[in-house]
Amino acid sequence: MNAMMTRALRKQERVSQCITFIILGSVGIPIWNVLQKTYAADTEAASAATPLNTLSPPLDNLYTVLSISFVAILFGIACAFYLQEWLPQTNWVRRFIESIVAILGGVPSIFYGILATGIFFSYAGTLKTIGVVRAPQGPGDGAALESLSFPHDTPVFYIVVLTFILMVMPLTIKTTQAALRSVATPIREAAYALGASHWQVLKTQVIPIALTQILAAGCRAMSSALATVALIFGIYVWQYTDAPGEMSNRFVLFLSSALLFSIFSSILIKLCTSASADPAHPTR
Amino acid sequence: MNHSIETENLSLWYGDFQALMDVSVKIPDGQITSLIGPSGCGKTTLLRCFNRVNERYGNVTTEGKIEVLGKNIYDADVSLPELRKAVGMVFQRPNPLPISVYENILFGLRIHSPMRSITRADADEIVEEALKSVFLWTDLKDKLKTRATSLQLEQQQKLCIARLLPLKPKIILMDEPCSALDAKGTRAVEELMEILAGTYTFIIVTHNMAQARRVSKECIFMFLGELIEHRETQALFTDPQHEKTSDYVHMRYG
Ligand SMILES: Nc1ncnc2c1ncn2[C@@H]1O[C@H](COP(=O)(O)OP(=O)(O)OP(=O)(O)O)[C@@H](O)[C@H]1O
Ligand SMILES: [Mg+2]
Repeated sequence: MNAMMTRALRKQERVSQCITFIILGSVGIPIWNVLQKTYAADTEAASAATPLNTLSPPLDNLYTVLSISFVAILFGIACAFYLQEWLPQTNWVRRFIESIVAILGGVPSIFYGILATGIFFSYAGTLKTIGVVRAPQGPGDGAALESLSFPHDTPVFYIVVLTFILMVMPLTIKTTQAALRSVATPIREAAYALGASHWQVLKTQVIPIALTQILAAGCRAMSSALATVALIFGIYVWQYTDAPGEMSNRFVLFLSSALLFSIFSSILIKLCTSASADPAHPTR
Repeated sequence: MNHSIETENLSLWYGDFQALMDVSVKIPDGQITSLIGPSGCGKTTLLRCFNRVNERYGNVTTEGKIEVLGKNIYDADVSLPELRKAVGMVFQRPNPLPISVYENILFGLRIHSPMRSITRADADEIVEEALKSVFLWTDLKDKLKTRATSLQLEQQQKLCIARLLPLKPKIILMDEPCSALDAKGTRAVEELMEILAGTYTFIIVTHNMAQARRVSKECIFMFLGELIEHRETQALFTDPQHEKTSDYVHMRYG
């Protein structure tokens, strides 16, 4: 490819990246607004201190779910490293996990979302029928909120958490493994043949090369976790509130952060593919 | 005459496929030895035994003895990093690491020495010396910070040789080092080998018989995992002792 062509391509790259950042920015500003509003609503609610207005219990649950998803993503990355870099392809544990990952990773995250939502709400329903909590008397009744907040030691909480883990882990493992596989064998062999140990090869070559893609993998998984949380909120808003102000703000907040994460991960992927498609660095 | 590498009844299996059969060979010190034979006869496999990079495949079983520089490399006290430091390898496709030219040359030293033990001045000197030995210094002295993967192929391959030198290897294994290069690049690499041959022992796998005749003092012919003939290059080409060798050097197998 000649130099002119290359320069034209580079320019195209730059322009498209600028456009993406502009889009990103224009999504970011409303999110920031929503963030500030929800924060204000939260502090207001807390100072009002009437249980009817308390928004925090269900939120509390979902924030916990999100942080657990985050930990699950980190764990998934670690798993992928172990599978891809330490276990031989013939190892049965690796084959077993990879086949599970292949099956679960193919399920669109909306199904997990519906599953988690179903568990979340049917549990509330069960509680109502067995009379543990009061059924909502009418729209906007605070009891609905209470019925939706589970203490962290109830089994249903763990089921929801498990659903999230089942969703993010395969996604992370699959994409991280692909990132590690994309580090070409000749590069690894060059390092090994110079006497590098396995750990040195990982540290000096594999991780620096695969890092962008691994980050992208993490962001993508986080994005689907956030989107699912947004879904739960959306259904909540739709079912249980008649003045959906703050709640739908939260819905927007989660949904847009999901979108942000997903755009960010696409940008990362774009960055590393454009780096390897660079004619000056032929892939092999 | 001293021998850098000696194997005795070396057999190797990939799973249950036997790729090397009872290979016994002695590679002389400080010379270029070439390894020829039809595709799939085990040349690469034999070469990769000498620094034990074959083991990375996982399904490899080896039998027999390999002595490198007088030491059995399957002894329990052999350290793989040290072995690979002494036995450098150049691959078929130039494979510089995707980092700067400068760091490529220092990579070997860095992994073999404690963190930050190489001073900047030492590093500069090592890089300059290595690049001068492969005649790249004038071309690359202003490009030390560019990514090595963006160089021309010929420069990349020379760089792959240069990055072995700071480790002071005794033996350099080359697996079809010129197959990705054009005639000019090939010639340049050959000349480089000839100049370095006194200091290092070279083993070069090649499909190019003219190249084997040009550069090597001794030549080994392999066929289906067996070593058929090992003699002075000129003698092997002009007066092959085995029918298979004669068929091969007269191009009777494509
Ligand atoms: N990792 C591997 N697993 C299984 N079989 C292998 C592996 N590597 C090589 N072989 C087989 O071993 C035999 C010898 O291969 P090798 O690569 O040593 O041949 P070669 O002489 O270098 O051929 P070429 O001239 O094509 O490079 C071939 O039949 C090949 O299919
Ligand atoms: Mg080969």
